[in-house]
Formats: sequence, structure tokens, C-alpha cells
Amino acid sequence: MKSQNRFSGFGLRALVAGVLIVISQPLIYLFIRAGDKTWEEIWALISRPKTLEVLGLTLLLLVIVVSVNVFLGTAIAAGLHYVKIPYPRLLLVSTVLPLAIPSYVFTYTWIAIFPALEGIWAAAFILSLSTMPYMILAVSISFQRIDSGIIEVARTLGLSKISVFNRVILPQVRRSISAGALLSGLYVLSDFGAVSLLNVETLTVSIQNLFKSSYDRGAASVIGLLLFFAAAIFVLFEAILKGRDFESRGAEGFQERIRRINNPALSTVTILVVALYGILSVVVPFYVLISRYLQNPGVVAFSDLFSAALSTVSVAGLGAFIAFTLSLPLALLASQGPSAFAAISGKVILISHALPGVVVGLALVSFGSRLGPLYQSALLLAFAYAVLFLAKSVAATTAALTAVSPQLKEVAATLGKSKSRIAIQVVFPIALPNLALGVLLVFLTAMKELPATLMLRPTGMDTLATEIWSYAAISRFNEAAPYALLLVIIAAIPTFLLTIPRTAKNEIEQKVRYL
Amino acid sequence: MTSLSISHLSVSLGERTIISDLSFELRQGQIASLLGPSGCGKTTLLRTIAGLIQPTSGTIRFGSQLVGVSSVVLPPNKRGTGYVPQQGALFPHLNVAKNISFGLDRELYNKKQIAEITEEMIALIGMQGFENRLPSQLSGGQQTRVALARALAIKPKLILLDEPFSALDAVLRDELRNEVVGLLRKLGSTAILVTHDREEALVSSDRVILMRSGKVVQDGTPEEVYEAPISPEIAASTGDVLILAAQQSADGQTRYPLSENGFTERSGDTGYVVIRPEEIQVSSNSIAGVEGSLIHIDYYGHDAMLTVEVLNSPTPIKARVVGPTEFVLGQKVYLKHIGPVRYFARQIN
Repeated sequence: MKSQNRFSGFGLRALVAGVLIVISQPLIYLFIRAGDKTWEEIWALISRPKTLEVLGLTLLLLVIVVSVNVFLGTAIAAGLHYVKIPYPRLLLVSTVLPLAIPSYVFTYTWIAIFPALEGIWAAAFILSLSTMPYMILAVSISFQRIDSGIIEVARTLGLSKISVFNRVILPQVRRSISAGALLSGLYVLSDFGAVSLLNVETLTVSIQNLFKSSYDRGAASVIGLLLFFAAAIFVLFEAILKGRDFESRGAEGFQERIRRINNPALSTVTILVVALYGILSVVVPFYVLISRYLQNPGVVAFSDLFSAALSTVSVAGLGAFIAFTLSLPLALLASQGPSAFAAISGKVILISHALPGVVVGLALVSFGSRLGPLYQSALLLAFAYAVLFLAKSVAATTAALTAVSPQLKEVAATLGKSKSRIAIQVVFPIALPNLALGVLLVFLTAMKELPATLMLRPTGMDTLATEIWSYAAISRFNEAAPYALLLVIIAAIPTFLLTIPRTAKNEIEQKVRYL
Repeated sequence: MTSLSISHLSVSLGERTIISDLSFELRQGQIASLLGPSGCGKTTLLRTIAGLIQPTSGTIRFGSQLVGVSSVVLPPNKRGTGYVPQQGALFPHLNVAKNISFGLDRELYNKKQIAEITEEMIALIGMQGFENRLPSQLSGGQQTRVALARALAIKPKLILLDEPFSALDAVLRDELRNEVVGLLRKLGSTAILVTHDREEALVSSDRVILMRSGKVVQDGTPEEVYEAPISPEIAASTGDVLILAAQQSADGQTRYPLSENGFTERSGDTGYVVIRPEEIQVSSNSIAGVEGSLIHIDYYGHDAMLTVEVLNSPTPIKARVVGPTEFVLGQKVYLKHIGPVRYFARQIN
């Protein structure tokens, strides 16, 4: 089989290499800019007390938020899945809903109530609330995949419920906990909005300050690289820690048989914790947004709102499209099965996951006039989105393509179809709904992006995110409210899509197919 | 006329050799079963014939045309084999009619012809009215039928069926198998059916090709492989067997626990005799035969398997009788071997 693929394989590899080169440009340029400085200057910059303080603060925040997530997030997910509670599905959705609220919106709603809110503990509180859904969602999905037959067997072998959880369930969700920790940790490292509003100077804030105040892009690039390395080390650390992958057998139709623990005390605690989380992370922000919106004395400038929404949608849409296009060769390669080349490109993508928005923004801004007409264009911002969310896009595209059974491709081949015909007639039509879902996810994530947007938006272009930011930064919460409400409502759509039960999702996929 | 000829074929996947030096031929219109335990290389062989896997050495010919050697000659899309994989693998995004017409080349046929062939195929599998159903709206048996129609529509030189009935329950399985085999015979198709079900292999084919770890161990008509197995192990793979210690003297006389010339077990046993349980006559009267006592009855309804302990055999004897049976546990019975004596000399290692 290998030799049949040799040629098309070569073409694909060339494409993949091209994509890797394109997306690594910002990083390479960051190195070049940092290289403007001598080693002594770089060392002086990194070793000065201020930098060390900022780095220390960033890592402390990372450790606190990830720890809270690992323990509380896993516990909440376990409670939602294994304790007898009313409306478990609805409660799960309510814990995932905060995903729709960008951290800067989250923060400003809390500051609107407690104007004195600031400092690292406030930041840890806010960021834990807003990253918890990543952990809950990741762990819940793998809880759902555990064959309840295995649990029953373990019980018949004499294990108590607690040892079943420790010896049977936890080992199978370990990788998901690890993935949830990675997502929430990267969120903390790259967050700019929340920490900035709370006056906590982390690396991202530091970079933005250096960039704005002195226009010393060399110095900003050095700190940018420092942040990138911190994130890359975190990514690699997680990749080592999570251990070996194993095939967890899908258990279709077995879910109903899971016996939830019927313990009133445990149920009460679960419901209380989930309710408290929901109040802090959903009810409070929405209450503030709506009341502030209604309190707004002036007339809402709907034309401004509309034009901001339009530029948000068009730039984010373009970014999602570029990300999808770039992800296609990588996903095709990954879906063809393991190879050394696929492993290398996988690692590069993993590292690109560690690029915070502020770093990509800085790198692309630093290209400056060398970019010609691209500089200060919406296309450059869209490209920044594509670079930032490529890992997400590759993951979604790969999942969509590998979901097409290889048997179908083989049957199509025996029925006389060439490789390209098979792609057009079999692979893409079947993968289409999931491909679309992936593009939608990237699109909605890009809509919420703040730091790169602030640095790269063309003069005169306002997006929902930048409007919210510019009002919130000067404490004009009422005026920010309509923009924030609109953004949150649009961003809530994929959150719902992600959490609907599998069968319902299939129906939606079928509907999407016939639209 | 030879339809398929495979000669000295070897296939390796990675480090593992799956098929080694395998040869056989099929005549036009023959239906052959590939029978063997899981992991013996049946599916790999089928996929190699379809061109989905490349052999390491050897040749595959369709008629006189060379289609496969170690450097691939024809890719799967140029071979014209009708491939029906396990569980059918219907395209989930296409309805029944579109699945069936999927392989019909738009350059060879015009729209009207494609519609005609599709209609003809749907009539052939008796699924009129289901044209617009999606695969998810079909039962398992219907899916298998559509997968077969899709393979037949391209008028393949050879049909390859990979355990097409394995996902179905027993009753449906028998019905559908008869239906499919009838269809293939009516069309005069040359076909290979991969199966690990020994009854399925015997009942549905003209040829049974027995495979063991990547090699053909016996190849013949169902009667040949059942009646004249080349080893006790092969005998067991086509049906129930009784393997008894035996001695053969220089003059060709064979003595074994059920032989008329008597038998006493001793260390000088030179081999085995292989007997099918239905070749043993059981009676309650002491007319003739070896006396034994009935220690176990497995009752299947249409027949029953009796386990009988006899004095001169350490292995209990199993005999099949047509049900209903009047025998009772513990009674004395008399056994008479009425079939051929299949003697196999003991392998000297």
C-alpha cells in the first residue's frame, strides 16, 4: 500500500512543510527582533528583579488556577456523572456555559459589583471560574466513554465504590484531567484582559506595557519569547506527564445503565457546589450585564454596535477560514496514520498551541512596514487568528476526517474511484458536518480574542472585543454592556452545541447535512 | 476457464508475515470459501486480491491479466472486483440507490443506463421501495443486501465477500446466505467467501480452501474436505471429530477401539483414526459392536450427541443420533463404526 501513496504522499508532505513554515514566521521574527539586542542586554532584561517578579507572579497564578481546576473541576464532573441528582444534563450544561464569557467580560462584571477587586487572589478567583468549564467538559466526556460494564465487573470483583473510582475510573480519565489542566493553564498564561483589569502584572501585561510605552520592540520580543518558552515547557511537561494513550472502548448505549450513587448528603453537596458555581460564573455576570445595559442612560448606538459586530464576524470568519485551509494538509497527514513526519508536525502544532495572543500580535506588528499593504490590514489580523487557533482547527479537522471509516475508502477504491474522487465523493461529504463544527468553534473563539486584536486591528476598525475593552478599561461599564451582551450571546451557541447528548447531536448533523 | 489464479503469494504487514507462498486457482463461476481461524490471513488475502494490500512476492492474475505482483500492477480502482467488507460499509451519506450506483462510471454509462442498472439491482435484491432510504434506516440484513448489490452493479470479474453475514443473527443469517449464494449462482459469478463458520463454508460453496497461519492446508470440494481430511487437525476444522488411538500392522490392518478385530491400548500405538460422530451407529441391542455405557447426552433437538465410555478406549466416544432419542443416561449401548477408516500415522518429532 505504501508505494501507491508515495507520490501523493510527497505532495502532501510538501504542503504540510509549507504550512509549518508559514505559521512559524511570527515566532521566527520574534527571535530576529530579540536578536537586535546583545546577549548582555538580554540577560540584563531577563534577570532584572521586575522581570523575575512578573515571571514569579505568572507561574504562581498558573499553579493556583490549575490546582483548583484539577481538584474542584474533576470533583464537580464526577459528581455530575456518578451522583444521583435531578436534571444531570441540564446541570452539566450550566457548568459549561461560562465558556461563552471572555475573561475580560467576566472580570469587568465582577469589578462593577466590587470596584476594589484587584490583585493575584482576585485574578486566581476569576480565572479559576472562567477556566473550570475546560476541565469539567474534558473529564465529563471521558467519564461518558467509560464502559459501565467495566464498573460492574469491578464491583463484582469486590471493589468498594471508592476503590472503583480510584482504581478503575481515575486511571481512565487521567489523560483528560491532564488535557483539562493544559487548556486551563494555557488560558492563564495567555490571558491578558482579566489580569490587566485586576492590576496584576503577568508576562502578557508586561509585554503589552513594554510595547506601548517605549516602543522598544526588542525588549518586548525578549519577554515575549520568555512567555512562549514558559508556555512551551508547560505543553511539553503535560505531554510527558499524561502518559501512554490507550484505546478506550466506546460504550454506545451503555450509559443508561450507570447506577448513580444514591446518597442524599452527597447529592446535596453536589447540587450546592454546582449551584454556587453557576451563580458565581453565570448568574452574576449576566445579572450585571443586563442591569447595566438597562441602566445605560444614553441611547445605545446601534449603528456602532452593528458595525463592530460586522467587523468581528468578518475578521473572525476570515481567520477561521484561513485556519481551516492551513489545517487541511496537516489533518490529512494525521488521518493517514502514524509516521515520523506526522509526529514531527504534530509536535510543531502542539508548540504553536503555546503561542499567546499577545506574542503573536507583537510578532506580526514587529514585521511592520516590511509587510507592505498587509500591515494594518484585516487580513493580517485574520492570519493572527489562524496562527493562534490552528491547533484547535487541526484537532477538529483531524477528528472529522478520521471519523470516516477506512473501510468506506477501500470499498470506494474497489468500485473504481481514484484517491481524489474518494476524497470528494466519500470523505468530505461524510466529514462535512464535523468539519463545519470545527470551523464554527474556531470562528467563535476568534471573536472573543482580545490582545492580538488590540495590537493588530486596522486603524478605525472596532470589534466587539475592542469596544468592550476600551469602555471597561475606563470603568464605563454601562456603555460596554450592549457589546458584551451581544458577544456573550453569540459565543454561547457553540457551548450548547458541544454539550448536547450524542444522539441529539447526530440529528443536528443530519439536519446540517440537508441545509 | 480460469478466472483467478494466485501463485506463490506472500504478504507481510510490517515485520509480520501474514501470508506465505500461497497458491490456488478458481474457475469461472466457482464459489470458493476461505475457511480458517481468526488471524490466519483470510481477510488479508481477500484484501490483497482486491488490491488494497500489496504482496511482497508472488503473482495474482484475473484470467490471463496480471493484476498484482510485488510492484503493484493495478491499483484497487482499476481491478473491477466487487468487494463486500464485514458489516457492509455502506456510505452513510448516500441513500440506497446512490450507494448501489456509486461505482457506475459516468463515462461508461449515461444517466438512463445508470438508472436502469440501479433499478435492476434493487429488483435483484428485492428492495423495491427502499431506494431513498439512508443506510441508518435499514436493518442489518438489508444493509448486507445493498452492499452486495453495490458490488454486483459494476459487473465485477470477481466478488470478494468478507464475512458478510457475521453480524446477523442465526435465522436471518441462514436465509440471507441462501439468498446471496442463489443470486451469485444465477449470475454465474466467481466469488470468494471468507468465513470462520464451518457449516457456512460447506453449504455455500463449490470449493473450500482451508487456511492455517497464512497457508492453504487443504483445498477441495466440500465433500472432499469433509470426508477426506488430510490431517486430524484439518478434520476438526470442518466438523466434529473423534480422534482415537490406533495401530496399523505391516499388512495394512488397522486396529482401533471400534474396530471389529479388537483393540487393546498400548505404548506401541502408531497413529490415530479420525471418525465423524455421525459415522457411529448406536443401538441398545447387543447385535454387534463394542459395548459401552452412556455417560452424557447433549440434546440439540434435531439430533443429539451421545458420550459413551468404552472399556478399551481412554477417550470417551461421541456419537451423533437423529433426535428424538430414546436413550437414557447410564444405560448400556453398543457402538458400530460404519464409515471409512481414516488412519493417520503419528508424527515423529
